[in-house]
Order: sequence, then structure tokens, then C-alpha cells
Amino acid sequence: MNQPRILIFACKWCGLIGADAAGKKRASLPARFRVIPVECAALVEPDAILRALAGGIDGVAVLGCHSGGCRYNNANHASIKRFELLKDLLDTTGIGGERLLLSFGTAHEYHQFEEIIENFFNELAALPPLDPWLSPFGVVS
Amino acid sequence: MGTEFIKTICPYCGTGCGLIIKVKDGVAVATYPDREHPVSRGSLCIKGWSAHEFIHHPDRLTSPLLRKGDTFQKIPWDEAIPMAADKLRETAAKYGGDAVGGLSSAKCTNEENYLFQKLMRMVFKTNNVDHCARLCHAPTTVAMAQTLGSGAMTNSISDLAGAECIFVIGSNAAESHPIIMGEIYKAIDRGATLIVVDLRKTAVVQNAKIHLPINPGTDIPLLCGMMRHIIDEGLYDEEFVKARMEGFEELNEFISAWTVEKASGECGIDPGLIKLVAETYAKAKESAIVYCMGITQHACGTANVLAICDLAMLCGHVGKEYSGIYPLRGQNNVQGACDMGALPNVYPGYQSVSDPAIRDKFQKAWGGELSDKPGLTVTEIIGSAGKDIRAAYIMAENPALSDPDTSHVLESLKALDFLIVHDIFLTETARFANLVLPGSCFAEKSGTFTNTERRFQLLRKAVDPPGNAKEDFAILCLLGSALGLDFSYSHPGEVMEEIASLVPAYGGIRFERLERGGLQWPCPDSDHPGTQYLHKDRFTRGRGLFVTPEYTPPKELPDADYPYYLSTGRMFAHYHTGTMTRRSPFLNREAEEAYAEINPEDAIHLNVKDGEKIKITTRRGSIITTARITKRVSRGCIFAPFHFAEARANMLTNPVLDPLSRIPEFKVCAADVRKESQDDER
Amino acid sequence: MVVAVWSGKLIMLEKTKNIAKQILEEKKANGVLGLMKNQRDIVQPHVFKRLPELDALVLEPKWLLAKLSMSILRSSPEGYRLAVLCRGCDERALIELTKRNQIEKENLLTIGIACSQEQAAICLCDRPYPAKVDAGEIASGVDPFQDERVREFLIGNDKKRMEKWANVLKRCIKCYGCRNSCPICVCEPCKLEDDVWVQRGDVPAEMATFHLIRAFHLSDTCVACGACQEACPVNIPLLYLQLSMRKTLKEKYGYEAGLDPEKKSPILSDFLKEPETGREYPEWINSLREKDGH
Repeated sequence: MNQPRILIFACKWCGLIGADAAGKKRASLPARFRVIPVECAALVEPDAILRALAGGIDGVAVLGCHSGGCRYNNANHASIKRFELLKDLLDTTGIGGERLLLSFGTAHEYHQFEEIIENFFNELAALPPLDPWLSPFGVVS
Repeated sequence: MGTEFIKTICPYCGTGCGLIIKVKDGVAVATYPDREHPVSRGSLCIKGWSAHEFIHHPDRLTSPLLRKGDTFQKIPWDEAIPMAADKLRETAAKYGGDAVGGLSSAKCTNEENYLFQKLMRMVFKTNNVDHCARLCHAPTTVAMAQTLGSGAMTNSISDLAGAECIFVIGSNAAESHPIIMGEIYKAIDRGATLIVVDLRKTAVVQNAKIHLPINPGTDIPLLCGMMRHIIDEGLYDEEFVKARMEGFEELNEFISAWTVEKASGECGIDPGLIKLVAETYAKAKESAIVYCMGITQHACGTANVLAICDLAMLCGHVGKEYSGIYPLRGQNNVQGACDMGALPNVYPGYQSVSDPAIRDKFQKAWGGELSDKPGLTVTEIIGSAGKDIRAAYIMAENPALSDPDTSHVLESLKALDFLIVHDIFLTETARFANLVLPGSCFAEKSGTFTNTERRFQLLRKAVDPPGNAKEDFAILCLLGSALGLDFSYSHPGEVMEEIASLVPAYGGIRFERLERGGLQWPCPDSDHPGTQYLHKDRFTRGRGLFVTPEYTPPKELPDADYPYYLSTGRMFAHYHTGTMTRRSPFLNREAEEAYAEINPEDAIHLNVKDGEKIKITTRRGSIITTARITKRVSRGCIFAPFHFAEARANMLTNPVLDPLSRIPEFKVCAADVRKESQDDER
Repeated sequence: MVVAVWSGKLIMLEKTKNIAKQILEEKKANGVLGLMKNQRDIVQPHVFKRLPELDALVLEPKWLLAKLSMSILRSSPEGYRLAVLCRGCDERALIELTKRNQIEKENLLTIGIACSQEQAAICLCDRPYPAKVDAGEIASGVDPFQDERVREFLIGNDKKRMEKWANVLKRCIKCYGCRNSCPICVCEPCKLEDDVWVQRGDVPAEMATFHLIRAFHLSDTCVACGACQEACPVNIPLLYLQLSMRKTLKEKYGYEAGLDPEKKSPILSDFLKEPETGREYPEWINSLREKDGH
């Protein structure tokens, strides 16, 4: 079966630390994921998530600080509602809100990160492929 | 002053959508769709939404220009018009009237086209008047006149939404006629089957139920194979054929040679699939055939259209609602320009120049002698420029980019004694002119356009022409008067009345009646509501005629030296030679530079990456363009849009003509492709 | 019955004309934007400036004027005041535009028209009347989620629905009509014209970016006027994309775009400071609570 591809936006104060630690520990993780460090989870534009899905990514995880722990004036709380609406849109179109994983403050430790990615990976593997949404004759470079 | 909204008609394709132009202090600032328009109903494509963008472009011509050596000099109108008249008259006096050629325009109104052909025919006693329909739907006019008696779309655009089976062949309606594609989608939503014949996997193909990627130029084998199967299985409409058709025996005999297996061998489609398609088309209650340049722009273009007509008539899918044959006209008024007799062999209303009775009628009405000799076509006028043709008047056409084998066209234009170009921009053709007349664009004049469904529609003036430019109608009146004709029309409406008096089918067309939604011809008298579909109880020619379509393979097939098929066409954001669309910022950003589509496998073979420069060479010449790698084209095929002056795709195309309609073969030629840098190293 | 409907419409029209007349007479505005039907039966938007012109004023068909009013106001000299004939959706769009500083509130007057029950049913409108109704009877709203066509696109098996959406979206001919006709789409520059988000030069437009980015940008501003869907030449049900987002905002945060000129969109505010503080996190959020610390 085709392995899902995962894109992770990790807040540098939390999720990224877990991801880093997982790397140092040489944790065994699914191969097809990439981590993009961000200052704050609130900086992740929903548009970027849609762009990723359009580009053939199967799931996007946004890892931020725990509630009350945001370094930027509780920005992560403001972003929650944005992501909630995005999930609605993904549900509407059948892409599925479950392709967007939000986790605040839960990936600080390497084993937490490992667990989150592992679970997300398994969840995505069970979903139907996104093929109908990818332009079949688009430019191939 | 202040803000005004003016309803008018879109200047791009033949669909003829309704626009509302927002005019702020004499400047067109925005375009909105017209919710009440019978065709577009509140929708527009990207070109329609951007129609106002080129109107006030700084490149617009604002004064008559006279060539002085290599440069142009501005001159006033009272010098330009007498000069144009003198030069044309001189040429006619020296070499005879047939030494003057006129290219009228599918971008201009019916009235302007009427005046143009009247001017050519009356002043120079020549029938050398043609326009770019020669390069798109000449085969349609010829073939449909022969089989049905009328060379126009049989039904209305809105009928498509009710069809049960829609057979699209050689048309990329989703990019070229998007609003018509919307009607096809409506049909699909109601459960209709969409069958598409196209060698590219276009946006239409993506929405089709059945796709037939035939070998280039093998439409006739496919259609004949289908007909053979339909006759063999007894699926044809026997009653219809008996009651309304003639020539069935001949067709049957001709078709008997085209077994499905033989057809399959030619066109490369599985016999089972050909049978399935034939059955789907024949069995459906209402089936429509939509076709476009993929059918006509071949050396056997006329035969292709004949085959389509035969298929439709065989199954009785003509002369009723929701079915019929839909040739999609490419320009806003190409239907009208043909209707108005801007053709070398017919007067307005397709009345033959060689018929003495008709000639007599026009001689009496116009008050002068007329020639009975059919004139030269676009390609012939250009081809014999400098030889038989010594002077030419080109109104709003751009043969330097649109005609095949353009390097030859450029030579010809240079060889003319005197060339008058009447346009809104200094086009590639105008650069060769001796005298340039600045005309008006769609928003600057009133008149009528006839769309692809035969609908006369009223154009309303929204803004004034820039600088000293004049309305085309006024220019023609001035020139006509200078040449001694009585062109004292005060308004295009008067011209329309004259047209109505000469052509029975347009007898009921008056400007006042067109205000709301327009009228579809035939409309013989002032109470007639217009005609939604043609050939209802009888064909225009009486009985429908089956004409056997002789198959000729494309004239130039890939070989060892030129191993690729090259096809040309349109892309969604640009239009024809790009004169207008490339000056519309919003459209131009979609495709700023020339490109050609290549299949990924070919690209690997050629070691070309997306966005890299490639050189396409044919026996006529070569162009350098950017590679766009996509699975849309299959292996061995190259597709190049022809909108770009810097990489003239039509420099490559084969000028071989269809013997009947004189259309050039734009759609197939053999080409070689190389990565550009390799060439440099050599 | 037919006569009653007809005379109702006539009364509504007369009422509207009177208000427009009053506005012009008292010079409350420089012009009234509405629909004009000329002697030849052609209906088009028109800015009425003089009293005699008002004879040609009509109310049908439904023709959204919010975007036009904004473009007129923006290109007019300072102090130009415009009165606009407004249906419910028009009014809500204008309120959204004022909230977003696209229109000066002082320069805009509205004449509110209620839509008929029929029109509400066609538009699947849950609020077919403006807050300030000047003419017409208020019709009851329609719940779009009860409509069969909508349910087909919003409810049921994910995989099938994904295909269903993909099938309609791949018809897109990239006319930008949805964006151009949307009364709220005013961003300059627009993300749909940016290579980072939407690839240029090809149709159909990339489905997951062009359409979903557009839809998402309107998540909290969409007033469900349906202009996008009406302008779509290939009949993509674009309005349906917005419905669940609108529903969430309404049910969870008590917010509807265009209702209250003073109320800010909830997506701009802190989740924890919502009126009902201590609200449970949505169940899909996997988070440590504040008190848990880490």
C-alpha cells in the first residue's frame, strides 16, 4: 500500500523540540514526513495547508504550544477557530477534516512526537487516496 | 458624466455573450456579465470579464499613418481618405479591378462587412473579398450548404442542455467556447453521455464518458466506421431517410467499404469502442454533434464536415430540438461576415455571384455593374500579392500571424504596390502597410453581430474611439463616398434595412427588434419571432442530400526527419493573434510567453525540462518556444498555441489547401523538436 | 391570487420609488443605484440622479448591487453619497464591507427590499430580508441543509463526496467569475493571482487551491448571496462550499456575517476568551489543558 505523506508545521517552542529530540534519539518513525519549523502555530496559514494537500501531501500536522503557553500573546488560541473552519471545509468537500491534525503542547517530548506521528500515519493510511483532487493533466516537471 | 452601464456584446468568440460595460467619465473601467442575456445568462469566461482592458490601451492607433521609408508619419483624415481612394483607383485603372483584393473582418459588424463587400464589388467590379472564415469554417459553409442547404449551426446553444448524447469532435470547447461548454455540463447533469474525439486530453475530455484519441486527421474513417455499423445494425432512422433524404444508396455503397475493422486500423480506436459510440449516438433520442477547428482545419476539411452531416442525417438527428449539428464559430461575428457576403463567391445571404438572376437583383439594387467571376480567397489573395493582386485593403485582420506559412505571407505583403490596413492596433500586418487607418473596437461603435447560433445581436456604443480614430462604419462611408459610391448612411440601422431588403432570410431584422435578446435568422418578416432550429419540416435545400466523404490522409505525416505531429490551437486566456488579449493585463498574466506542450516521455527522450527552450522545426521554418511538459498531449504529438508573435506557430503550418473550401491544413504537420541549447552547441 | 401577488409587487415598487424620490428631493444622496428598465424592456443597473428617471425603476430580477455600489463609491469624489436598493444579502454584504473599511458608512444609504418566498426558495436563503425593510413582505427563511441538492454535496460517504466535488470542480474554466462577482472579494492583490498558490496558464484551475482557498478566505465573511454560483458558467455549486463554515460560526460562536455592524469576526479573537469562557475544546483538538501545565 502507498505510504501516506505527512507535512508537519512545528512551533519552535514546543513541537520542534519534540521532533528534534526524536531525531537525536534515532526514533523509528514513518519515512515520508517533513518538518517545517515555525515561530508559532498561528503563523501557519490555512492556505498553506490547502497548498500542501493539492501538492500530493496526504495529511498536515500543526504542532503548537499548550494552551496558555503561547509565546506570542495567545496567538495559538486565535488560530484554533481558523483551523476549525478549515476542517469544516475539508469535511464538506470529502477530503476529510481528519487530514489536518492539530496538537497543542503534546509533542514536547520525543516519545510524544513519535506517538503523534505514528498514530496520524496509521489514520491517514486508512483513508481513501486524494487522487481525484489532484489535477490529472497538470504540468509535470 | 458619472457612471453609466452599457449593455453590449463580447468581442471574442462566436458564442456572443452579453456584457455590461461600466463607463466612468467616458472611460470603460469594468465589465460585468448581463444577467438577462439569452445565451450567457449572467456568466462570462475570463476573456469576457476582461473585455474592457484593451480598450484604452496606449498602443491604440489614434491617427491615420502614412509610411515614409521605414517609419510612419501621422496624417489627417482629409489626406488619408483621398489617398486611399486614389491609390486603389490607380491600381484598378492600371491592372484592372481584379488586381485589388479586400480582406473584410469577422471582428467587425454586419453593417461594416456589408459596406465593405459592396465597396469592393461596386467600385472595382471584383469579387476578391474574403475574410478569416476561410481559416476556420469555410468547409462548414461549403459542406453544409451542399447537404442541408444552409451553412450555419442547425440549432440553438441552449438546445445542447437538453441533448441525450453529445458527440464532440475536434473542439476544445472548455477553453475556446466556455459558455457553450456550460450548456454541455447542464446536459451531463441531466444524465447525457458526452463522447469526445480529440487527440489531446483536453478539459473537455476530462469530463467525458468516452474518449476517442484518434490518429491525427482520421476523422473520416472513424465517422464512416460508425455509419457502417449503424447501417449494419439497422440503427439508422429509416423513416427520416425515406421521407426527407436523397442519395442514401450512394452513401450506403460508399460506406460498405468502411468496415469497423478497417476504420479501426486507420484511426487507431478499438472496434468495440467504435461500435459502442455508434450505438450510443444512434440510439439516443436526441443527439448533438459539436465540432470545431479539429474538423475543418484539414486538407480534407470539407469531406470531414460532409461525414458529420451524413452521420447526423442518417440517424435523423437534424431538424428537431436538442439535436443537430453545432459548428462552433470562432469569432464574434464570423457568422455575420459570411452572412453579409464577405466571401468571394456569394453576395449577402449566400446568393451566388454566378447566378444571373441574383446578380441582376443586386445590380439593380446597388445601381451598377457587378462581376460574375468568383473572386480569390484569403490565402489566394495573399499568395498572389505582388503578382495578380497589386493593392489590398485589409480591415481588422492579421494574416501575418493567422495565415499558414507566415514567412511566405510576409514576403507577399511586402510585394504589394499599396497596402491599406484598417485596425485598432499596429498589428504585425499593419507594420507592412503603406497606409494605416485607425478604427474602432467593439465598445466604440454600434451595429450588429451575429453569433454562432445565427442570433443577430445589438452592439451599443459605450465610449468614443481614441484620438482621431473613427468608427469603422464612418471610415467605410467616407472611403465609399470618395470612391464615388452613394454611401450617405447616417446610422448602421439604415444599412441593416438595405440588407433586409436584399436577403429574404433577414427580411425581418430591424435594429428596434434586436434591443432585447436579438433575433435568430431566418427571420423573413417583421412579425417573425426568429428561428430556434433549422430544417424543421424540410431542409433549406428541400431534401437533405447524402454526399460521400472521400478520405484523404493528412498531406504531411511524421517521418524520419520530422518525427512529431504538430497541431496548433487556442489556449483559454488568449484569443487568436493576441492583439487584444496580450494587451489585457489580466489575460496576459495567465500566459505571458509562447509555449508548446510536450508529453513527459518525449521530454525525457529530448532531455528537456519544463520551462526550457525548445526549437520546433518543420519544412517551412522553425520557432523557438518554451516547453510545457504535460500528459495532455500523447507521445509523438506537439501542441502549440498560435497567439504569440514572437514564436509564430503558423510559420510552421502546412499551407496545403482543401480543394473545395480552400482552407489550409493547420491541424496536422510533421515537425522536429530539439532542445534549444543543443542547437547552439552545434 | 395572481392579482394579489401582482398588486403586492406594485405596492412594493411604488413604495420604493417614493423613498428614492424623497432621497433625491431632500438631497440625502447624489444618486440612487437600482435597476432601470428602459422603453425597450432592457433591465440594467443604473444610478438614478434625476426625479423623472425614477419612472423606469424596477425591482426584478434579483440583481446584486453591493459590489457595484462599492466600486462606484470608491471611484467617486469625497463626500459623494449613494443610496442603494438592497436585498437582504446586499445589505449584509455592504455591512461586511463597511466593517472592513471598504466603504465609508456615512456615504451609504440603503433602501431595504424583502425578497419573496419564491426567491428565498431559489436562493436557499435563510434570511431573505434586510435588517431594515422598507418595502415588501418579509418571507420566512429556508434552511439550506434541508434541500436535497445540498445534502447530496454535504452529507454522506466521504469518498463518494470527494469524487462528486472533484467532478464538478474539474469543470472550472478559470473565468474568475466567482471572485469577480463576490461582493466581499476585495483583496488587492488577490491570492488567486499569485503563483505561490495558484498555477497560471492552465485549466481547470487547481481544484484544492483555487477553489478551497477562495472558499476559505470567505469563511467568516460570506453572506450566502450566491453571486459566485450564479456567475459560474459551468454550474459549480460554489455556495454549498460555504454552508458548513457558516453553520459552525452561527452555532458555536453565535456569529453571522453581515448582521451586526459592530461585531467582529470570531476568528480574530482568542478562543479562550469566547463569551462562554471555559468552553470545552472541540473534541478534535488534542491538547493539554492550561491547568495541566506540562
